[in-house]
Amino acid sequence: MGEGDRAEPLERLLNLVGLLLETPKPMTFEEIRRVLEPYGQSNPESAKRMFERDKDVLREFGVPLELVDVDVWGTEQGYVIPKDRYYLQEIAFEPDELGALLVAAQSGGQDPAAEAGARKLLYGADGGILAGLAGGPLASGSDARSNLVHAAAEAAQELRRVRFSYRTSQGQEGERDVDAWAMVFRGGHWYLVGSDRDRDDVRAFRLSRIVGELADAGEGSVPPERFRAADHVQSGPWVAAGDDRATVLFSPARTWWALSQFPGATQVGTDDEGWTIVELPMADEDATAALLLEYGPDAVVRSPASLRDAVIARLEAIGA
Amino acid sequence: MPERKRQTPRTSERLGRMLAIVPYLVQHPGSELKDVAAAFGLPAAQLRRDLDLLFLSGLPPYGPGDLIDVDVDEDGRIWISMADHFAKPLQLTRTEALAVYLRGTELLATPGLPEAPALARALGKLRGSLGADALGDGDGRIEPSPEGGAPVHLTSLREAAAAHRRLSIEYFAASTGEWTKREIEPEEVFSGMGRWYVVAWDVDADAERLFRADRIRSLEPTGESFRPRGLQGAGRDLYSPTSEDVAVRLRLRPDARWIAEYYATTDVEEQADGGVEVTMPARQLGWVARLLLRVGPGAVVIDPPELRDEVLRLAAESLDRYRHKT
Repeated sequence: MGEGDRAEPLERLLNLVGLLLETPKPMTFEEIRRVLEPYGQSNPESAKRMFERDKDVLREFGVPLELVDVDVWGTEQGYVIPKDRYYLQEIAFEPDELGALLVAAQSGGQDPAAEAGARKLLYGADGGILAGLAGGPLASGSDARSNLVHAAAEAAQELRRVRFSYRTSQGQEGERDVDAWAMVFRGGHWYLVGSDRDRDDVRAFRLSRIVGELADAGEGSVPPERFRAADHVQSGPWVAAGDDRATVLFSPARTWWALSQFPGATQVGTDDEGWTIVELPMADEDATAALLLEYGPDAVVRSPASLRDAVIARLEAIGA
Repeated sequence: MPERKRQTPRTSERLGRMLAIVPYLVQHPGSELKDVAAAFGLPAAQLRRDLDLLFLSGLPPYGPGDLIDVDVDEDGRIWISMADHFAKPLQLTRTEALAVYLRGTELLATPGLPEAPALARALGKLRGSLGADALGDGDGRIEPSPEGGAPVHLTSLREAAAAHRRLSIEYFAASTGEWTKREIEPEEVFSGMGRWYVVAWDVDADAERLFRADRIRSLEPTGESFRPRGLQGAGRDLYSPTSEDVAVRLRLRPDARWIAEYYATTDVEEQADGGVEVTMPARQLGWVARLLLRVGPGAVVIDPPELRDEVLRLAAESLDRYRHKT
């Protein structure tokens, strides 16, 4: 057992990073061995093995440990960590931006890489930001596996074609070939938006419905000029918005709740029984009818007549 | 090989942490140990242990004057010198940059976060600075699409959770349609399914409960503080089963299948028509009945029979309203 084995690996790694960052010229392993005690142990074989493992750990961490020619003749090669590739470049964040990044770092999700990344950005933060964080802890949640989210995001950024098995909201499972164009996060779900090759159409795929992993299927295509990813993602089952307006009566017990659930809804009066008259935005009559049905006998549609009829017809279908 | 075992993930985890913390300490002499520990997400004692190791590292020739010098004074402030080679952190890896961007986007897409504008700017700068290598060159490749309204009391909830303050709230119980007054001890505010929740100890029920932030009408500190129990928010099931749960068995047609995606279900059986049969635990049947009113013939109640009756009763009552109200 050499002395190196007794030393803390963390200490050895920190020293190796410092050494190769500050060295004026690339160092051969022999030179490193002479300077850094743990590698100087008597058995050169095991010292070399330890060094190889340490290199792997550092590279895995993103430390740009390079093997380059020591001189112009290229007779010998040595290790170095170029400063310009190691150090994070200056990013001129404002204090509130750093505060927001700290919130993101602390919002424990499933992905430790987000935390590690955000924390690196904090080195320039004001001490005050750490002490007096405005909000308090937060956490974000998504229903997709984080490795799948990463794979899909990378495919979208590099405009790759991907193949995967997908189960539709209607329960049908099948293979898809999709040119990945964008990722959208809505209503707690990640969606991959792109061109479905077999259907020759732009589709959004909820990542939590993808069965298994994404397979790379080569180069994809470039989205059209006016492509807007969010336009292709359906709204969640609790959202109604749009240009048309409906007038609905709500019982006193449910009024507060209804007003908070329909963004853009306004209270325009009360009827003689104390019910609230509310105007709310509506894009799709079916979707609005569905939402209102959850209010049961606590909501009555006044107008438009077509919406009123749609709700009545759906209620009658239940009793039939 | 014995050495292989020693290269545990713990070592690399600690290394990564030190390469981020030391730059902060160099830039901010005299930072308080507890603040730094909180910001970097580790217990103060662990940070102290890691700092102790720093003493042993430095630059050649590793004499006493070449090693990093760390001092934690009696006020708990950290002073560091001889660490200029770690004055700036290591570049973000591609995975980390992407992960920050994705996490930030998730937060931006949940409406009501007061930090959202600053976060959006920060992500923009991150993209501008790390550039095409790390985050791709296309704009709008990863975007948040917030929908729904913002809860009024989000900030107060977060503050109360951070300061461990007990709250008295007025809460809308969707199952009964009634407002209830409750005392809660909020521990973590988190988002799930695009909404904000708070996981809290319900003082009256003497049990852990989840509350949707947008169902809180009013909120007031009681003046008492509490000791956190370590309740977990993010990533948990949004429904916590209890012993009083009724097992609701439903057959869902394809167009009502989404119910199985939005609610906790068990005993899932795929059907030939693309539908699915599921068991959904529910403490109260009231909200389930209203949900079923919405999907109509898309769902068939197999069990319990009183739920079927309740749906029929609600439908009849609703139709009655339509006959009398215009």
